[in-house]
Amino acid sequence: LTLCLPYSSSSWLPQAAPSRGSHWQTSLLTVRASLPARAQPKKKKKVDVKKEQAQKDRMKKKIRKLEKAAPEMIPIEDFITPLKYSDSNRVRSLPPLSFEETERRVLLMKKWCLFKQNQDKAEKAAIQALVEAQQEALKELRLESEELYQAAIRRDEGLFPFERDGPDYTPPLPGYDPPEGKCVDITKVYTQ
Amino acid sequence: TAAAPRPWRLFGAMCLLRLPRITQPLEKEEEEMAALMGQIELEKSQYSDHEIRKLEEEEKLRRRKESMYDDDEAPGKTVIMAQDLEDKWEQKLLRFKPAPRITDADKNNNRTSLNRKLDRNLMLLVKQKIGNQELWLLPQVEWQPGETLRSTAERAMATFLGDHIQAKILGNAPYGIYKYKFPRAIRTEDNVGAKVFFFKAFLQSDDLPQAELKKDYLWVTKDELGDYLKSEYLKKVNRFLLD
Repeated sequence: LTLCLPYSSSSWLPQAAPSRGSHWQTSLLTVRASLPARAQPKKKKKVDVKKEQAQKDRMKKKIRKLEKAAPEMIPIEDFITPLKYSDSNRVRSLPPLSFEETERRVLLMKKWCLFKQNQDKAEKAAIQALVEAQQEALKELRLESEELYQAAIRRDEGLFPFERDGPDYTPPLPGYDPPEGKCVDITKVYTQ
Repeated sequence: TAAAPRPWRLFGAMCLLRLPRITQPLEKEEEEMAALMGQIELEKSQYSDHEIRKLEEEEKLRRRKESMYDDDEAPGKTVIMAQDLEDKWEQKLLRFKPAPRITDADKNNNRTSLNRKLDRNLMLLVKQKIGNQELWLLPQVEWQPGETLRSTAERAMATFLGDHIQAKILGNAPYGIYKYKFPRAIRTEDNVGAKVFFFKAFLQSDDLPQAELKKDYLWVTKDELGDYLKSEYLKKVNRFLLD
């Protein structure tokens, strides 16, 4: 004779009155009576669930409020001068510029303007000459054979991205051992 | 009667450029301007931490001299002054010897070396036999049917410099053309002249294995091209070369 007493909280056997003549059942019944009564565990569950639900709602409301608020601007570090550079003792004391010096500067600026203009014109003329030469070559090629011409004006996929290290002041020294060093990056990273 | 298209023989030539490795010297105006810019920047700036430290230490030294050593700093304590640091840095700079901008090849005018004229473009010239003449030309090779002109130019490069060249060819299109008619002696109905299409490439590797080059070759700048090339050819080549 076996009595299945499921001990899960979801299903409880109805609280049966002590049956007659089941002396061996009394112990079980007393055990059951000593355990918390049927109604209470369910209350605990409800209250817990309700509390948790209320907490979750509060959290969600907070999150929604934060999201609604405008996102804080990320400060541009370069535009904020640190306070230590606005001290008055930092101001450089130099003698004021003489008249000749200002004149010299103005004239030099004008000469520079002209120099740069000529340089730019020369560059543009050179590029124009290059383009003309290429157009002429392509025209001649077209006269020769259409097929070669089409092959020539096709885009070269392998050309870009084109990378090249620019020229330095001195050529590389053979057998030079550069000193060891570590670079620690302390830039602040902001997340929005 | 409509003239039949006069057939020209096609050649693909490669202008291989070694790009400059050092900067060109500044012009007079550029130098003056650079000095002026530095001066203006100095005038508009404020003292840096290092400069403030230097000024304060100079003050202290001056005061110490005037008041004849009656302040609390013990003479045994060695303080590193900003001036000492500057001297130390200066010494370190003087001890470093960079590679010279004007190399030995420059001094010897060794035109076959790649280390010459590091601030200019160098291009490859080879001696080729055209007809019955030996001429200095940009490496060229006749076009074979079935290949594009760019591959002809690549083949030209490979014949003269070997297969393992790291060169970046700039695009599929030719940069210039040199058209010439054969002398009347060998001119025939189907063989009037030749068209040489020039392509440009940048040399990527720093050195070429010397053993590869079989024939006479030279690396020259744009100005020196006139010493070797014929005038008509030179005119056409100069059109697509930037200095």
